[in-house]
Amino acid sequence: MEDFSTNNPQNTGLPSGSENNRPAGQTLGIAALITAIVTFVLAVIPCIGIIAMVPAVIAVVLAAIGMSQASRTGASRSLPVAALIIGIVAFMISFSQIFVAGRIGDKFEREWKGDIEKAVEDVQQNVLKDLEDANVNIRIESGGETVEISTDVKKSNRHDELEELEKETPVTDDTIPGVK
Amino acid sequence: MTPSPESNNAVLLSWRNRIREPYIVINAALALIILMVFGYSLIFSPDRNEYPVVCVHEKLTGVPCPSCGLSHSFSLILRGRIAEAYDWNIYGMRIFIFFASQLFMRIVFSSVSLKHPYLEKPLVLYDGTASFILFMVCFMPFLKGILKYL
Repeated sequence: MEDFSTNNPQNTGLPSGSENNRPAGQTLGIAALITAIVTFVLAVIPCIGIIAMVPAVIAVVLAAIGMSQASRTGASRSLPVAALIIGIVAFMISFSQIFVAGRIGDKFEREWKGDIEKAVEDVQQNVLKDLEDANVNIRIESGGETVEISTDVKKSNRHDELEELEKETPVTDDTIPGVK
Repeated sequence: MTPSPESNNAVLLSWRNRIREPYIVINAALALIILMVFGYSLIFSPDRNEYPVVCVHEKLTGVPCPSCGLSHSFSLILRGRIAEAYDWNIYGMRIFIFFASQLFMRIVFSSVSLKHPYLEKPLVLYDGTASFILFMVCFMPFLKGILKYL
């Protein structure tokens, strides 16, 4: 567990209440730890997980600088080390989101896309079938006059009409005499 | 008997030093970030779809991710429209509980640490353990999603 009691003025040997009584690297360690914790939470959320790589790198860099500063003066390195570990884990989670997105993209291309195309085709077929049996009414009103056109586009009716037309039209012999 | 100015100064300096302790600073910063998340959810209305944060995952893959609709869900929870919040994101409530409990924990742990400085080490230990368990419970669906596709 990190030792958070290192900011004690007695430990640092600086006068109590002084503005400069933080051990070297601790301010950077605090900043790195805050950034790392926030990044860790962000990295797990799929929507923004990928972009969490940027603050993760910032947290790791801050922690590394904090660690080197603390090493130089022999101060406690617990805060920068904690920040470094959390930052690296957050970066790895964030980086893994790229693979997760890639796998989902692949799966979409291979499996779901076919299903979606099939569903769209089914919907199109249903719409066309409904249109085949639809009644169309057009009403135009202009200057007190009303024109109403009403028709249906029923497929069965069109078949009947075609049959009627065939019956009405006399069958013509279009063969050329003498040619078999 | 009135306290001497020297003792008043000593108490003031002691408090000032306590407030500048790393644990308190970290707690204050995290509480501020959580408040900013709640502020963001309150500022943007769920009825007007004007959230500036877009889903990077959806932009890349074209497929919505398990955290899509989380901003809507948070906004609706803060406005008391819980049923609608579940419609937007089924995990919205558990993530909201994580943030709300973290805000509560930051305030409580900081005030306990300020009042009883000798308790700081066990407090940090309890805080870390409780936060980790809470995180795992609340974010489990997202973690499972990552592990599933790796």
